[in-house]
Amino acid sequence: MSIVPKETIEVIAQSIGIANLSTDVALALAPDVEYRLREIMQEAIKCMRHSKRTVLTADDVDSALSLRNVEPLYGFASGDPLRFKRAVGHKDLFYIDDKDVDLKDVINAPLPKAPLDSGVVAHWLAIEGVQPAIPENAPVEAIVAPSENKRSEHGKEDGLPVDIKLPVKHVLSRELQLYFDKITELIVSRSDSILFKEALESLATDSGLHPLVPYFSYFIADEVTRSLNDLPLLFALMRVVRSLLRNPHIHIEPYLHQLMPSMITCIVAKRLGHRIADNHWELRDFAANLVASVCRRFGHVYHNLQYRLTRTLLNAFLDPSKAMTQHYGAIQGLAALGPSVVRVLILPQLETYMQLLEPEMQLEKQKNEMKRKEAWHVYGALLCAAGKCLYERVKLFPSLLHPPTRQFWRSNGRVATKMPNKRKASSSHLLQQPALKKLASDGTAGSIPPISMTTSMQAAADGFPTPSESGIRPSSSTGQLSNESISGGSRKEKSGGKAPTPSTVLAQAWKEDLDAGHLMASLFELFGEGIFSFIQPVEMSFFL
Amino acid sequence: MEEEELQKAVYAYLRKKGFRQTELALQEEQNRLSSSAQSDLAVSRLDNDPARYHDAYSKLRSWAYSSLDLYKHELLRVLYPVYIHCFMDLVAEGHMQEARTFFHTFREDHELTHLRDLQKLEGILSPSHLEEMELARSLRQNKVKIKLCEYSYDLLLQYLQKTQSFTMLGIINEHINFEVSAGQPSSISDDADVVALVGSSQDIAKHINQKEVRWGLLEDSVEERLERALSDSEKAEGENKEVDPEDSKQKRSVEGAKQGVSVKKLKKDKLVGATGKNIRSETSTVSMAPRVKPELTLPVMTTEVEQSILEDLRNRVQLSSLALPSISFYTFINTHNSLNCSSISHDGSLVAGGFSDSSLKVWDMAKIGRPTKTCKNYCLHLLLGESESVQNEHLLGPEERKRSYTLFQGHAGPVYSATFSPFGDFLLSSSSDSTIRLWSTKLNSNLVCYKGHNYPVWDVQFSPVGHYFASCSHDRTARIWSMDRIQPLRIMAGHLSDVDCVQWHANCNYIATGSSDKTVRLWDVQSGECVRVFIGHRSMVLSLAMSLDGRYMASGDEDGTIMMWDLSSGRCVSPLMGHSSCIWTLAFSCEGTLLASGSADCTVKLWDVTASMKVPRMEENKASSTNRLRLLKALPTKSTPVYTLRFSRRNLLFAAGALSKQV
Repeated sequence: MSIVPKETIEVIAQSIGIANLSTDVALALAPDVEYRLREIMQEAIKCMRHSKRTVLTADDVDSALSLRNVEPLYGFASGDPLRFKRAVGHKDLFYIDDKDVDLKDVINAPLPKAPLDSGVVAHWLAIEGVQPAIPENAPVEAIVAPSENKRSEHGKEDGLPVDIKLPVKHVLSRELQLYFDKITELIVSRSDSILFKEALESLATDSGLHPLVPYFSYFIADEVTRSLNDLPLLFALMRVVRSLLRNPHIHIEPYLHQLMPSMITCIVAKRLGHRIADNHWELRDFAANLVASVCRRFGHVYHNLQYRLTRTLLNAFLDPSKAMTQHYGAIQGLAALGPSVVRVLILPQLETYMQLLEPEMQLEKQKNEMKRKEAWHVYGALLCAAGKCLYERVKLFPSLLHPPTRQFWRSNGRVATKMPNKRKASSSHLLQQPALKKLASDGTAGSIPPISMTTSMQAAADGFPTPSESGIRPSSSTGQLSNESISGGSRKEKSGGKAPTPSTVLAQAWKEDLDAGHLMASLFELFGEGIFSFIQPVEMSFFL
Repeated sequence: MEEEELQKAVYAYLRKKGFRQTELALQEEQNRLSSSAQSDLAVSRLDNDPARYHDAYSKLRSWAYSSLDLYKHELLRVLYPVYIHCFMDLVAEGHMQEARTFFHTFREDHELTHLRDLQKLEGILSPSHLEEMELARSLRQNKVKIKLCEYSYDLLLQYLQKTQSFTMLGIINEHINFEVSAGQPSSISDDADVVALVGSSQDIAKHINQKEVRWGLLEDSVEERLERALSDSEKAEGENKEVDPEDSKQKRSVEGAKQGVSVKKLKKDKLVGATGKNIRSETSTVSMAPRVKPELTLPVMTTEVEQSILEDLRNRVQLSSLALPSISFYTFINTHNSLNCSSISHDGSLVAGGFSDSSLKVWDMAKIGRPTKTCKNYCLHLLLGESESVQNEHLLGPEERKRSYTLFQGHAGPVYSATFSPFGDFLLSSSSDSTIRLWSTKLNSNLVCYKGHNYPVWDVQFSPVGHYFASCSHDRTARIWSMDRIQPLRIMAGHLSDVDCVQWHANCNYIATGSSDKTVRLWDVQSGECVRVFIGHRSMVLSLAMSLDGRYMASGDEDGTIMMWDLSSGRCVSPLMGHSSCIWTLAFSCEGTLLASGSADCTVKLWDVTASMKVPRMEENKASSTNRLRLLKALPTKSTPVYTLRFSRRNLLFAAGALSKQV
């Protein structure tokens, strides 16, 4: 009936030596005990208020007891809150855990620091009613929206960058530690196993991994800088990055700054892997796509993310002293960011660059086969990037393209006024794939065009014997023909032989509107009909 | 059937003629008759079945809740007294178990308005507790007065008669006095009367409040003399307006000694130039208040003191809702939760802190202010929450090793209150050892120990003229003392619980006391009589402030409500809501236009008093919207509850509080 059960009275009675207290007495005492307790608490609250506090302490209870002329309870005056423990086997019996203290330890312990003496400091809380923004005053934003602040502190899902560093030690659970060890071991030693694939899957989907993200990002950054020679490891690391980026439960943003350098390293490093046969091109492509996806996802939050990235890549691209591999990486990285980036950054430089590149690709000028092969890779990448860019332009302004194509495909000329929509989906889908593969598939799928790029691209991809004949020759020989056809088709004064130099056209291509025709002409001059493979998807529809 | 009709006719006649007592008597008689006429079953049931309270109350409750909307709130007022008396009757009859269940079943209904009372009553577990607890005792001894409109009253009576719920009728007859008024039911906002269901009978309170209070200012005060001097000089000077620059130069030299913080001076001087004219208009508003003769023999002021006051008055900054004060905040650091109270002298140069380790410490801010470099850094480090090692370094430095304060030791228990004399040469402190001690700040020693209270002395306050002081204690009394006698001059008894705070009226003829019984009382110092009872707070009253024109009083309670009272009428002018926790301190600005409040929720709030006084006269309905207007500014501190506020004579606001670590 009362809060104090009769059992408590009995227990207390036993503790002071009354063994057989009758139940009636206990029952009668219980309500009175409760009343006295309440009375003491009421007085204790008064003492608390007069000590200008809002938290009740043991001292207050002591003063309340002395107000009622009761001996205070000794031994509870420490500042710490009391910790009650539940007695084993009883669900409502509690006790205070009193540790045995060895007197020797207490005596031998060094003296604790003397508490600081109290003092008074003065500051202006307000000057003519206005609160000055000095550190002694409460910060303004904390006043305005305390609830919002709280939310951003422990709600990570609201997408705000969290850069409050607390000097709190991170405690990882044992399971997470095991998981981390296992994953890192897989990455380092057995990245080709099926188990690793499953690990990647787990990294991309598991929800409880957030505490590990800082460790992973540190691990990745560390490993990338340490083992640039180990291509499989780098590949494995990039895959881990991709998985982490994919995981919807992970808030990766705070760690991007640590991951980005590693990814960029994998794009534009001079040497990746220690053997010549290592297919580092693929890693560069992979990393380039990864970086591009990061830019797409977080570009709107970090405005200078893409800017910084493109600057790094462009520096690598424009520096003639850099190795071909680095150029390749830079081009792929920029190309992955989208056609508009290519249009703005690569196309204006294209002609000058081609002048540099061409001698590298020719058998007679570049004797080193390795270097030549690299140059062809770069050529392929450039072609691909420029081609995609052109493709985008063509998609935007189809009419400009039609005259030349109509000329080119005479048989289908009459249907050309219709803009095909159906094909676009599939074609753009094709574009998503890594450039080289895509070209290959394009070549096979669209084998109808008479002058296909397939051979030259194949050559570029393989880097084998025919580059000089099949790559350059077609561009020079057929150039005449198609140039004529374009100039004839567009019937513009600025075409054909009278056309301005390709470089200026390229430089202006992105400034002026609807210049796809000129763009194409210039690109054609540089690449030959290899560029036509990129307008095919549009034309494919003519056959349907 | 005939008999019933006859009865009704008689009732109607009695009501028409206004013979309420007779009507009730008749009703009781009727009940007795009818109850005796009841069947045996009913009688036995009535006699000692504890469930009858429960049944009858729940019926009454559901009836009241389903009654007409217009009269509902009036009828609901009846429920609370009936509820607590049902509970206490059950306890008195010894049905503990039933009392408990009854209490808990209906507790929720009343928690909103009567939570604190319910918490107390909850502890009653045996008939003897009823005798012991003062709240219960006074509730049972006194009748509650409830205002009802005529029709609600009829409704209630009809219900009680129809349902023959004699238990309820008995309780209502025994404990409730109905004040039936003709016409429409009163508005809901009047519920305040019922809220303060205090033990003291409201009749007595009303009777007390009819006494005359002469709230005017003292004759021949310094202010008056200043005004006279000003008007004289105005006449003499004629058109010569350019007096200020010279004056201010002099002021600067005088001020230098007084103001601890250097910035203050510069600001002051600027303001003086700007508001030179306002001073005149301000003093003239003060003089509007009626003059009264002092009832006490007042101490004689020395000419130097008078000069300095005059100087301050001349330099006073005019405050209003548009010109807010500057606030200098004194933060106590490293108090380890042991600071109980603080006090600031009138000129802000001395700050005292009373600690729970029985010590009293006084800081001279003028001295601390000088080596600002280290002090400021030190304070910065602390406020920025840097590690302790940094603080230690500072402390161990050669300059810091010396104590920055004067330590006063003598009390044998926590110091609960401290107050400076008007001119800062004396300091009084009260402690839980039931003594008050007088200290000299000039000699740095204890002068007198005043013994008289039997329990902890919660508060002590110097009178505005010095020499006299008032104290209040857990022993439910307030006492008036003079510095030269070790026995109290007057003992004010009447509060039903602890007297928690005390404050002097500006003319020294009255003191106000706030108590745990949720009332504020005003006492005549000369006669020792209670002249006003202010009812309206819902919890313990923690702080009081009197406006300097003597007309208004503000009181703050545990829940964060501030009430503004008109002393002459005893009515609440307006409640000021806004704080979320205990109000530790209140202060009126010197011309009475602003009220500052300091609270445990770590804010200083400034309220526009002039607005809050006008509102009730103009429009009562817009109370909720105007409530916003009255709060001028809320100034949060950095996790520092505000313990003390004081306006200097020049209207600079000083505040003090102990920095508390966030939990």
